Amino acid sequence: MKKLPKADGSPALRGGGAPRSPQIASYNIDARLDAVRHQVTGKETLVWMNTGQSAVDVLPFHLYLNAFKNEQSIFMKASKGEMRGAKASDTGWGWIEITSLKIGGAEQVAKLRYPNLPDETVVELPLAEPVQPGSSIEIAIEFTDQLPEVFARTGYKGDFHLVGQWFPKIGVRVSAPSGDRWECQPLHINTEFFADFGKYDVALTVPSTHVVAATGVLVKAADLGGQMRQYTYHAEDVHDFVWMADPYMEIDKNTGRTPYIGQAKVDDGIVEVRVYARPEQAQFARRHLQAAIGAIEKFSNYFVPYPWPIMTVIDPPVDAADGAGGMEYPTLVTTAGDSVFTRPGVRIPEYVTVHEVGHNWFQGILASNEPVEAWLDEGMNEWADLHVMQDLYGPRANGIEWGGWQADIGWMREAIAGGDFDNLPSPIATAAYAFVDNKAYGQGTYAGTMAVMTTLEKLVGSTKFLAAMKAYAKEWAFKHPTGRDLFAVLERELGMDLGWYFGPTFEQVGGHKLEVRTADCDKVHEARGVFGEGPGRKTKTEDQAPDTGTYQCEVIVQNTGVVHVPVEVEFKFADGSTQRETWDDRGNGNWKRWVIERSSKLVEVRLDPDRKIMFGNPVTDQLRIDGDGSASLRAAARIASWTQGFMQLVGP
Amino acid sequence: MAMRLTLGEMLGAGTRGVGRYTGTLLAVFLVQTFITIVCMIAIWFALSRAYSHLPMWDEAVDGDLVALIFCIRYGKASLLASAGIAFGALLLWQVVSWFLVGGIYGVLAQRPEGRAETAKCFGASGASTFLAYARLMLCSIPGWVLVVIALGLGLSQFASESRLQHALTVPQLLGPIVLGSLPALVLLHFFWTVTDYARVELSLRQETHEPSVVMTYARTIMFVLRRPLTLAHGALGWLAFALISIGYAWLAHGHPMYGAEGAVTLFVIRQGVALARSAIRFGVLAGQLELGKTRALPPRRVEVKTETKKS
Repeated sequence: MKKLPKADGSPALRGGGAPRSPQIASYNIDARLDAVRHQVTGKETLVWMNTGQSAVDVLPFHLYLNAFKNEQSIFMKASKGEMRGAKASDTGWGWIEITSLKIGGAEQVAKLRYPNLPDETVVELPLAEPVQPGSSIEIAIEFTDQLPEVFARTGYKGDFHLVGQWFPKIGVRVSAPSGDRWECQPLHINTEFFADFGKYDVALTVPSTHVVAATGVLVKAADLGGQMRQYTYHAEDVHDFVWMADPYMEIDKNTGRTPYIGQAKVDDGIVEVRVYARPEQAQFARRHLQAAIGAIEKFSNYFVPYPWPIMTVIDPPVDAADGAGGMEYPTLVTTAGDSVFTRPGVRIPEYVTVHEVGHNWFQGILASNEPVEAWLDEGMNEWADLHVMQDLYGPRANGIEWGGWQADIGWMREAIAGGDFDNLPSPIATAAYAFVDNKAYGQGTYAGTMAVMTTLEKLVGSTKFLAAMKAYAKEWAFKHPTGRDLFAVLERELGMDLGWYFGPTFEQVGGHKLEVRTADCDKVHEARGVFGEGPGRKTKTEDQAPDTGTYQCEVIVQNTGVVHVPVEVEFKFADGSTQRETWDDRGNGNWKRWVIERSSKLVEVRLDPDRKIMFGNPVTDQLRIDGDGSASLRAAARIASWTQGFMQLVGP
Repeated sequence: MAMRLTLGEMLGAGTRGVGRYTGTLLAVFLVQTFITIVCMIAIWFALSRAYSHLPMWDEAVDGDLVALIFCIRYGKASLLASAGIAFGALLLWQVVSWFLVGGIYGVLAQRPEGRAETAKCFGASGASTFLAYARLMLCSIPGWVLVVIALGLGLSQFASESRLQHALTVPQLLGPIVLGSLPALVLLHFFWTVTDYARVELSLRQETHEPSVVMTYARTIMFVLRRPLTLAHGALGWLAFALISIGYAWLAHGHPMYGAEGAVTLFVIRQGVALARSAIRFGVLAGQLELGKTRALPPRRVEVKTETKKS
């Protein structure tokens, strides 16, 4: 029998103190896992407070697990049962059923209605008595979950259970110009989650063979007899609760806890970081642990300190990683990337961990509306991840440093996306469910936002920009910021109107299509030819008008995209000298011509030589006037040598 | 009764062959190097066409993965052309090798003295067996088809996509691949050896017995089945070939040679490795010839002429 872990013995918020969020929706849940049938039965008491300006006569609830109920759900229609390489199995359907819903002891379950049928991921309860502004309502719910075989963020795989989005969760009441309204979107393949902050007290009864990890701090663990155990968790200022149960996760025999534990130093305090992994993934667990510690320290430094005492990272079994890996929840994230191909130096596992841990700020603390503004958490997190990866693993090879190859993770992502920003079918600021497809969502939301924000940072100066982002984090922590809120803080802190930038980058398509159109040089000499008339007619030949030894070079650059930013242009000459110019095409047309006369010939033109602009295609930003084939020769020699190796296989 | 040759004697014959006809080995290697250089120049032109005006390409070739990805996306056509050139060189070498192998077997069998005699013998032997080797290639196609089928079946059985995808260690990755490929590799080695010994037979008996290519191939299958020594000898050759290749890869790993000077140095070192591998292949051919000589003679093709006397 596995050793029972001791309670964490720490408050749910690091250092204790008053809650930092308004705690609008708080849950008390008692759940039991049937690990054989992969079912969870639960009783939930929800206390919801109406902080709006108007009375509420209907309560909407997310029933996320119904996304996996059948092929008629919006999620299954959009995903076709496939997500990030994982596929739904024909025997692994999932669902959630509310078996009882009581208000003040009166059963209400018969009143429940599904507003988006045949999709059942949202259910509504009309209230006989509206909830007045400033007052609360307590709802007692009983539910049964059938977990799906995991392919999208939640479910089981073999004996591994990642139980996420598993309980009826109330929507978010948001204020809008037309009055308060509910934000409770059905689950779509591109949308994730949006919920109010609150307090969670959750008791989990699981087989005693299973190792358990969950959101918050463990306040009690007890054997119940009958081979069952109960773990009780408490979490504050979080907007979700997730847990993992698996019999094969490695634990220390003496403590009952994972052996992969470290400490992150934050704001003169300590955050305990725990990584759960199966024994065969031990070497990756150590890498995830170091990455998570580094991420917590760096994110805390850049934005606001991590407020909770524990961060848990689950490294799912390899066969579950596609579906369960790479997902973020408050104080608990799942990671991925463990593979024979991700040897030390290929930092994909580290990057996944940094990204997921980073979500504790971008959405965990800055709880933006993911279904509507996914870029605000995914894309902003991607931007921040680049800083963290560069801080932790160096500026040039933070993505890959292996076998003589090097890559920065941000630029590698842009290279793989390959100028996709220029060809987005929808603007970045499109609701996640409204993108034409999952690819467009990914390009705009992740890589596109990262490139746009990194470019802005480089243009205005990194120190200033990071300070502005810190101000945004402080101002909007434990609230629901929108894109407008972010733009407003940035403009205020940077002291400039950025409408010229945010408009085209976030709200338009067309990208930044910068390129060197032509570059050419001629030797300078007095004009040759026939001059004058009649007897005074003279012909100037090459001998009479020889070259002066100087060159006149003409360079034309153009930008046919919709995004216009000031760009530096570097001219490199044969004598090794360089000349830099700045082209600010905002309102100055789409092209610029330079005519340069120098004693040395122009050999190369580079736009944005310091790579400040991350979007667009850097291949078109450079031109060597007279070709140089030496690199091609080196590549050809290598390919020919490989060919020779094959030749020796088939011949003497 | 035919003389029974041992593995040691076959290896000895290989060493002697390489020692005695080092010039022939070098000449064959020179042809190979020539094709390699032509291939290199063609690829150089193809790549230069796309990349010579792109400074980023220099960074890509020198190990900047980001630059490489951008360049690959930009110059797909040139890279495809380069791959086509490399494949073309491979095909050309396959065809040329019919002539070269015939020449090598001829020289090793007839043991000519002096450079001129050797060259003459090499050319004559290569030319005389060229078409027979080409027909032999056609005969061997069913064997190669069997190899491909075995490979497909083996990999689908042992190396499923999910199994490889979930591998955490090199043994977990390579184990199923090796296991799945093993039947195909055994078959490949068998049919490869059959082809080699069929070539020996065609070279040795071309003038005296004019053996039929199909019959030779069929008889050689039986010969190889009866003499596992043929397979062991060939396997030893491949083992040495692999050891040299892996040893070089291991030594070269993590030592990138940047710049034009580095590229030239790398090319020269690789030529040295290639020469060593060629010597092994040459030695194997010499050993095969020694064993091939001990085979029972094929039936002589007799032309029967009948004359009818008019009364």
